[in-house]
Amino acid sequence: MSRRRAIWLVARRELLERGRSRAFLFSVILSVGIIVAGLFLPGLIGGSSGAQRLGIVGSAPASVTDGLTATAKLANLTVQTEPVPDLATGEARLKDGSLAALLVVPPDGSLPTYVVKSRGNELLQQVVASSFSTPPQIQFRELEPADPNRDTSFLFANVGVILLFISIFTFGTWVLTGVVEEKQSRVVEVVLSTIEPRDLLVGKVLGIGVLGLVQLVVMVGVGLTAGVLGGRFSLPPTTGPALGLLVLWFILGYALYSTALGVLGALASRMEEASNASSPVSFIAMGAYFFSLIVALNDPGGTAARVASFIPPVSPMVVPLRAALGAIEPWEMVLSALVTVAAIWALFVVGGRVYSGAVLQTGGRIRLRDAWRASGQ
Amino acid sequence: MLEIQDLSKRYGNVVALDGATFTVRPGRLVGFLGPNGAGKTTTMRCIFGLARPDRGTVHWNGKPIDREARLRFGYMPEQRGLYPRMKVGEQLSYFAQQHGLSAGAAKAATARWLEGLGLTDRIGSKLEALSHGNQQRVQLGAALVHDPELLVLDEPFSGLDPLGIATMSGILRERAAAGVAVVFSSHQLDLVEDLCEDVAIISRGRIAAAGSIDDLRAASSRRHLEVEVEGSNAEWLDGRSDLTVVERRGDLVKLLVASDVDLPGMLAAASAAGPVRRFAFQPPTLSELFMEVVQ
Repeated sequence: MSRRRAIWLVARRELLERGRSRAFLFSVILSVGIIVAGLFLPGLIGGSSGAQRLGIVGSAPASVTDGLTATAKLANLTVQTEPVPDLATGEARLKDGSLAALLVVPPDGSLPTYVVKSRGNELLQQVVASSFSTPPQIQFRELEPADPNRDTSFLFANVGVILLFISIFTFGTWVLTGVVEEKQSRVVEVVLSTIEPRDLLVGKVLGIGVLGLVQLVVMVGVGLTAGVLGGRFSLPPTTGPALGLLVLWFILGYALYSTALGVLGALASRMEEASNASSPVSFIAMGAYFFSLIVALNDPGGTAARVASFIPPVSPMVVPLRAALGAIEPWEMVLSALVTVAAIWALFVVGGRVYSGAVLQTGGRIRLRDAWRASGQ
Repeated sequence: MLEIQDLSKRYGNVVALDGATFTVRPGRLVGFLGPNGAGKTTTMRCIFGLARPDRGTVHWNGKPIDREARLRFGYMPEQRGLYPRMKVGEQLSYFAQQHGLSAGAAKAATARWLEGLGLTDRIGSKLEALSHGNQQRVQLGAALVHDPELLVLDEPFSGLDPLGIATMSGILRERAAAGVAVVFSSHQLDLVEDLCEDVAIISRGRIAAAGSIDDLRAASSRRHLEVEVEGSNAEWLDGRSDLTVVERRGDLVKLLVASDVDLPGMLAAASAAGPVRRFAFQPPTLSELFMEVVQ
């Protein structure tokens, strides 16, 4: 029997056993819930609660301010008005976000102007417009007329990183616990009487990876469908390539992290030791995640983000993020993917030996060095 | 035929195996005996490539054992273990396929072995839902489901109740009769003596004795002599320093003597003390042999 068939049998067992498990079902439901909540909760919260601050330059007729309060109440919106000395101050406060909108009433009685930073709360605009006696006697102006896809790109980048992190780490952890379970239940000795240790690890990574891919596709599918149907965004033309990148980087990131976690799992003898054994990798993953969301998202073309694109544990999150924001050169992407593939291979060679040396040893935590030596004997 | 030749293995400063050599022939049931820590489990792990010997070889049918050969072996490790949440039928079928059976053949073999083990009605149960005894049966099933040519079992009788022991003995006998080479370790020497023709006794990493039990007993330089002389209170022994007394109870004495002891002389001495009711000259039992060679 070929090694390939042995790997396939291991992968199929993982796929069937775990795919039918409640844990997988819960994982899919939970992750879809997170995505849908992430798409709609901010909109719901922003639309219904929190006072909207409206700055007024010049003096608005009393009828307008009274009417504003009344209409706002009807629209279930709280509007706080405050006088602003001049247009420059108002625009500055729009930019720093301390005002939602600015109403400029010229003293000469010409048409008032409604100014926002970029197209945002349509409801507030309607409330303001309708508080004038004969609408639409109001001009509209945007300070930063946005690229219509900019918000969507930002959303995709943001959600993409979260999706990747959830997927890579959830299923990487399954590999970890799978390895420890096999050790703890001692079944590994029976299994390894016919299978090479590396083949067992590869099969496990593959089988669980297919489940991860399934969950990712479900999450993305539901998220995009709900986002479009719910009017949250429309699909930009770059959606196809972006999804392709998401899948590619899930595969690369998952292969890297799950192999590392599987190897560390072999160093533990019982489930209680597993999280301890895996903490270095968890730590790196969390670091990569926060780096992507905080540093790289704010400055996707900056030096930090560019350098991080070539650091294998970070690149699976940073590269798709930069790609979604259109802030990466094609050559960077290709090189980064190659570097990550090389890292996976190196990890597999080194980690595979550690795994082989450690997976049959029991009794407390096994030291990395001992596992390496045991395999060489 | 399984040939283990000069197998040596150290773990750090601990010598697990120190030149162990023995063979297991097809159709024979070999008891692999030895005190704890003598190297039984390490030897078995070397057969399956789970431990790599520092020196020595393991051959099957004249060739070094590779992955292909191992597919025709069955193994029951000392530390029992299967997938707790996997269904019994799927589990056996999985192991059968990992030993090279097609999906269809694996399914058929699973059904056949579950029937043989009396577990047909548990085919769809998760392993963890089974009683301890039944889990042991499934474990045996996992070693047997692909009809191996060599069966290696580490302490298959430990933890079994008398009924389980009888079932296990029956299956091992039946497999050996079908031409399978069977080797198993055990501390239950009476059971081994009853079940096996051959034994290999390992002590401190070396084979201290190997071969058929009858030959080993006959080859022993010592014999057990039981003498009962009515009304003698065994006083005829007094003053004889050339005899090792194992037990002395009333008229009965049990002696350990050399195999070439002067039997007519002994009998004459006993007869002189009174009427001889019992005079039994026997080779050592397996347990006695075991104690002799491992000390």
